[in-house]
Amino acid sequence: MGLLVLLGLFALCVVVGVPVAFALGISALAAFWFEGLPLMIGFQRIISGINVFALMAIPFFIFAGELMFHGGIAQRLVRFASAAVGAVRGGLGIVNVLSSMLFGGISGSAIADISALGSIMIPVMKEKGYDTDYAVNVTVTSSLAGIIIPPSHNMIIYAIAAGGGISISKLFLAGVVPGVLMCLCLALAAYVVAVRRGYKGEPFPGWRALAFSFLDAIPGLMTAVIIVGGVLSGVFTVTESGAFGAIYAFVVTLLFYRNLTWMKFRTAVSSAVKTTAMVMILIACAGAFAYMLTFYRVPNLTVEFLTGLTENRILILLMINLALLLLGMIMDMAALILICTPIFLPVATSLGIDPMQFGMILLVNLGLGLCTPPVGTCLFAGCAVGRLPMEKAVRTIWPFYLAILVALMLITFVPAISMTLPGLI
Amino acid sequence: MTNSDLSRDPPAFLVWMDAFLDGLANICRLVTGVSLVVLTVIFGWLVFGRYVLNATPTWVEQVALLLVMVIAFLGAAVGVHDHTHISVAVLRTAVSAKVRLVLVIVSDVLMVGFGALMIRYGAELTLFKWDSQIPLIQMPEGLRSLPLTICGGLIVLFSLGHIVRLLFGNDMRTDSIQ
Amino acid sequence: EQWRGWNIHVDGYPNTVAMEKFAELLAEKTGGEITLQMFHGGTLGSQPDAIEQVRLGGLEIGNFNLGPIGPIAAEANVVSLPFIFKDVPHMFRVLEGEGGQKISDGMAAKGLTPLAWYDAGARSFYNGAKPIEAPADVAGMKVRVMNNDLYSGMISELGGNPSPMAFAEVYQSLKTGVVDGAENNWPSYESTGHFEVAGYYSLSQHLIIPECLCINTDVYNALSDDMKAAVKEAAVESAELQHQLWAEREAASREKVEAAGVKTNEIADKTPFQEAMVPVYEAYLAANPDLRPLVELIQATE
Ligand code: NA
Ligand code: NA
Repeated sequence: MGLLVLLGLFALCVVVGVPVAFALGISALAAFWFEGLPLMIGFQRIISGINVFALMAIPFFIFAGELMFHGGIAQRLVRFASAAVGAVRGGLGIVNVLSSMLFGGISGSAIADISALGSIMIPVMKEKGYDTDYAVNVTVTSSLAGIIIPPSHNMIIYAIAAGGGISISKLFLAGVVPGVLMCLCLALAAYVVAVRRGYKGEPFPGWRALAFSFLDAIPGLMTAVIIVGGVLSGVFTVTESGAFGAIYAFVVTLLFYRNLTWMKFRTAVSSAVKTTAMVMILIACAGAFAYMLTFYRVPNLTVEFLTGLTENRILILLMINLALLLLGMIMDMAALILICTPIFLPVATSLGIDPMQFGMILLVNLGLGLCTPPVGTCLFAGCAVGRLPMEKAVRTIWPFYLAILVALMLITFVPAISMTLPGLI
Repeated sequence: MTNSDLSRDPPAFLVWMDAFLDGLANICRLVTGVSLVVLTVIFGWLVFGRYVLNATPTWVEQVALLLVMVIAFLGAAVGVHDHTHISVAVLRTAVSAKVRLVLVIVSDVLMVGFGALMIRYGAELTLFKWDSQIPLIQMPEGLRSLPLTICGGLIVLFSLGHIVRLLFGNDMRTDSIQ
Repeated sequence: EQWRGWNIHVDGYPNTVAMEKFAELLAEKTGGEITLQMFHGGTLGSQPDAIEQVRLGGLEIGNFNLGPIGPIAAEANVVSLPFIFKDVPHMFRVLEGEGGQKISDGMAAKGLTPLAWYDAGARSFYNGAKPIEAPADVAGMKVRVMNNDLYSGMISELGGNPSPMAFAEVYQSLKTGVVDGAENNWPSYESTGHFEVAGYYSLSQHLIIPECLCINTDVYNALSDDMKAAVKEAAVESAELQHQLWAEREAASREKVEAAGVKTNEIADKTPFQEAMVPVYEAYLAANPDLRPLVELIQATE
């Protein structure tokens, strides 16, 4: 009954046109009230949803992206990228996926990836004549690389939830091939969609122009070098690297490119704040919503229901995927990892699935859930950065979902994809 | 962001109300913008302290979390004022003008109600935690819920503003009544 | 009546098993009048949040470490003083005596009534560079600590650089060298995988922080005396099980990390560490003069 209040009111609010964030908050609070729980706890959950240190990467990377855009770094990067790959149809879509593969490999966070790359790539793709929905969809789905390609905070959470029997170093290795595989599927989807939409390639401008655009883009490319190098060498954490990205972008655009005026700086700050607040309030209210889903034991009940349906190995594996996907659509990742691992892992191991392979299945499923409505942090962030209504993004995102599903099925049924690399050490 | 000059001449009190609400929103923009810059600078200081001074400033992490609260909640209130939050407008754009009016008003009334709850329970939470200290910075734990409380107040004002504007035919939502 | 309980640990962990046992005993001893639904893995919120939820009555039961209770109930913060307990048995002797009563009363006044004490072992330093044998080995080292002025003060007094950091970032930071070391008990050192990236574990045992099985004070006070006794009994029995499972888990974790190549060292003489803590104690007692009797009581307990 209470669950009906929660889900029903949420659906109602969304349909009426209440902003999604507040629809989540209103329905969650109604459920708190319905269950006789103190409403103060409802608001505690909203606050705690964003009282999370790892989320600090969002404002930093968005701010860095805005500074790069308004200060002229982004445009130079685009000039270089389109000189290099502009001849390929959907070239920037593919660049978007590949840069996520590299950046996600460092940041370990899908949301940081969208904040950082989305803030640069989406405006740039728009400028080059790509549709906004295409740019947003590519950015959102490819951000999953951040979760699957090491390092990844969520893998550490999984290892702990699994009871500490898994080596984190090996688990990280297990993510490399599935992550790359998923990105290749997404790059293919980006290409196919680009061709079907008739995006034209640009003629190759010649090696001279390419070299020139490269030289011009070097200070901008250095941003990536600083972030990546700083994290890998242990100068700073990923979160701190975001702040350094912003500081560096500020210095370069002010002193080197001399593009950053006071007005442009103000514009960069205010759009960074706007986007950050939109994303943060969604995450915050989703926290209260997830609390009630956990309270009603929705994950546990879903699992029991679906796995009770069959005894066939392949069907059970599909059911596990389905359950995780459905749950991922309405809840955020970390909580689901902690709830679902103890329930599913024994089932999976009894079917002969290695815990590391199961981790990959779990993370890809829940990651895909981050890109889907109604509750999808990555989708929210992508739409906020791209200033695109959610329903417009969702209408055309299918090919990219499909690409991830293909990768997911391969990861589920071909153990070697996950297990080969960790087996080597 | 004043769009109040869209339609026929608005009554004087509407002009006054818009000026007041725009002023509030501008204050929020200033506070959140400064917070973002400060947030970035203190993280630079954190790394500088750890490497160059070999003394990590231990207060940065906790102060940063408080600044994020300010950015998120005051920024969210401005988003309500400007109609920039992610929402699903499918139904609103598909129905007749009359039904749409009802939907928009229902949505605004819900926002006023939620804002009011934010004020009430945000304030209770703030008082409940005022005696506990945030470790490492020795500030009241209650500060953490203060931005949410203020956000509630702003949402009530901004959403009431939308309703008033709506009733006087000066609504500025592009997807609502023309 | 259906109660709800919070626990941060995952399935199979000693505390999780003991909390499940508590739920079972509770139903048994109250003749099914009270049942407990446990939410493990911290799925209903972080530890400080869950403490608040029990105090506000959203949850009835929680298994909490006394560390994060310190900012709420000043008496509970005393156990976060470095080296205040000689060893784990000493801690339990204190908790079962007058000292434990004072801490209990302080917590109960803030809405959290302890029913029984759980074991969380002793926390020791680990790092990737060298065994720590004297305070000089900590000097210049960047050590991750939990958010508490006492812990950061402790590292500062040893000459190190205390670096508060979100738990999720510690593994990667140890690996890349953002921090040089951290500190925790055997089971956490093992289950977080930190031993893979910081292979020296030095038995400083500087912090021995107990855990409690707590109940919302109003809920507890509203019970009849028989019910109170039943609840308490179930809690104490679950604690006995927890202590035993904890000892087994500590040994298993130690065996596992040592088999993986971790270098462990005992610290023969801890006096230099303890002496370095004098300024920490002085600053603490100057700021909290009311707690001097409690600190002295603990130190005087045999
Ligand atoms: Na990653
Ligand atoms: Na991308």
